[in-house]
Amino acid sequence: MSPLLAALAPEAVLLVTALAVLGLGVSIPRARNAATSLALVGGILSAATLRFCPGGGVFLGGMISLTPLAGILQLVVLGLALVAIVFAADSFPDAHFAEALALILFAALGMMLLCATDDLLMIFLALELTSLPLYVLAAFEKSRQAPAEAALKYFLVGSVSAAFLLYGISLIFGVTGTTNLHALSSFPGPGDPLLLAGMVMVLCGFAFKVAAVPFQLWAPDVYEGAPTAAAALIASGSKVAAVFILAKFLFGGLGPWAGSMGAPGWAPVLAVAAAASMVLGNLAALVQSNVKRLLAYSAIANGGYLLLGLASGEPASLPAVLFYVIIYALTTAGAFGVVILVEKSRGGSRLEDFDGLSKSSPGLAICLLVFLMSLAGIPPLAGFFGKFYLFATALENPGLIWLVALAVALNAISLYYYLIVLKHALVLPAPDGGHFAAPAPTPTPTRALVAALALLVLAAGLFPNLLLTPLTRSLRPATAAESAPACLP
Amino acid sequence: MTSYLLLTLFLVIAIIFPLVPLAMAWAWARIFSPAKPGHDKQSSYECGIESTGPARVQFQSHYYLYALVFLVFDVETIFLLPFAAAFLDLPASAFLALMVFLLLLLEGLVWAWAKGILAWK
Repeated sequence: MSPLLAALAPEAVLLVTALAVLGLGVSIPRARNAATSLALVGGILSAATLRFCPGGGVFLGGMISLTPLAGILQLVVLGLALVAIVFAADSFPDAHFAEALALILFAALGMMLLCATDDLLMIFLALELTSLPLYVLAAFEKSRQAPAEAALKYFLVGSVSAAFLLYGISLIFGVTGTTNLHALSSFPGPGDPLLLAGMVMVLCGFAFKVAAVPFQLWAPDVYEGAPTAAAALIASGSKVAAVFILAKFLFGGLGPWAGSMGAPGWAPVLAVAAAASMVLGNLAALVQSNVKRLLAYSAIANGGYLLLGLASGEPASLPAVLFYVIIYALTTAGAFGVVILVEKSRGGSRLEDFDGLSKSSPGLAICLLVFLMSLAGIPPLAGFFGKFYLFATALENPGLIWLVALAVALNAISLYYYLIVLKHALVLPAPDGGHFAAPAPTPTPTRALVAALALLVLAAGLFPNLLLTPLTRSLRPATAAESAPACLP
Repeated sequence: MTSYLLLTLFLVIAIIFPLVPLAMAWAWARIFSPAKPGHDKQSSYECGIESTGPARVQFQSHYYLYALVFLVFDVETIFLLPFAAAFLDLPASAFLALMVFLLLLLEGLVWAWAKGILAWK
């Protein structure tokens, strides 16, 4: 077996699984459970390959670059895709169900490749491989008007931002003559205005994926209109991969062009986008009446926090940013899981649909409490530590004090809208006197997974080192990294 | 800076150049052929026969599915051609790799077929 194929074994397993799920869907059209099981088994097999025989090394001149850090991120996005597959069983319609699972697997493949590349061209290809299945997933209920509109918006904004990304890459290539990030980093600061234009265009492309202002317009509609499992994947997995590759592009490729307040570079651009995202996301979330839309605006605000971490311009902020985005993805995936279960039993995701949740299913209400309090940053949950670490790291750059102050103030505001959801779920009585509580909650895989995610968020808050140590260790210069067990020659 | 000045000059010329004949045509029409609308002049001309029905006709657009499926063959051709040209110099593993690649593409076609996309509705 060629070394490249051996190193890409997890991705190959995932691809074969996706194709097998497609074939299963065609041959046995009604086999929902079989398709889900097959997708899960394939995904777990891929994760096991990734975990226990990780392939390391750089292939094809940096097109594929499998570092220990990339391995961790790949494992995270694969796990989030598996979460989406479990959720899909409770939120996708019967028609074309196997195709939905195959699309989730294809998107996961794109995210994994996105985490493991050092080349701008491969970044573009992997981003498209991630985005195209997500567009289709968002359009899954295309016969209804709102999802069709949301998906079209997502697709159009996405294609335009992909065009921006590609044009930016071509400008950067035109000036520097390379698409490799390491080769790019040897170029001194941005003297050439053409380089600045290319850099800003690439940032536009990434800002769409992170849903940062002014590229956030698609997010609320898509989160509301897409099947909730697809929204969970868009909010969690694709965000982790996009933030990681953005950080890699900025710190690894454009490190010398960071600039600062007053000097041209990418750091001031990110700082302004971060401030705008935090303000718009947190303020617009205050008036939402649909929990999925509320989570979308919360995602925009959280995109702002992440950009704040990157805006410091120091590679030292990388562990804080990655820790925060992973915790955020786990939390928001869990929150979407609660929304799926509420939608299933009450038929909607408006705030009123959450009334009396603590009476009808107390376990679910406690999970919702954990997720939303973590998003708001209340100790001892993981979100608190993530935000604390992120802001503390950003404060080491004295030019960013205003931005951190803004973030802390807006974070206090965000507590209000999370508490409104919790008021509906925990305090308000169910309409018509609690007759909703009729069917006893049966333990479904989604329910179990939501509980597991809540425990994970709690554990990551109590013992942040469990996640932080591998992250920081893999960021150190590669010396001890080669000690991984090799199971393929 | 001078190169950008030149560029601006080109831009200005590029805007003026089409505007001048347009303005001349407009002035010509204004002076020599004033508008005198009438029933026969306003009616739409379709090969001399009186036109009936609205001009907006809906037509089937699901031909795009065939265009998408054609992509399978398109990509196959693009990759098969250089493969065939270098066929004699390639090791057996390359043949195997290409067969795997063709199988991947083929599954797309089989999937579309089984889904009934090729049946004209």
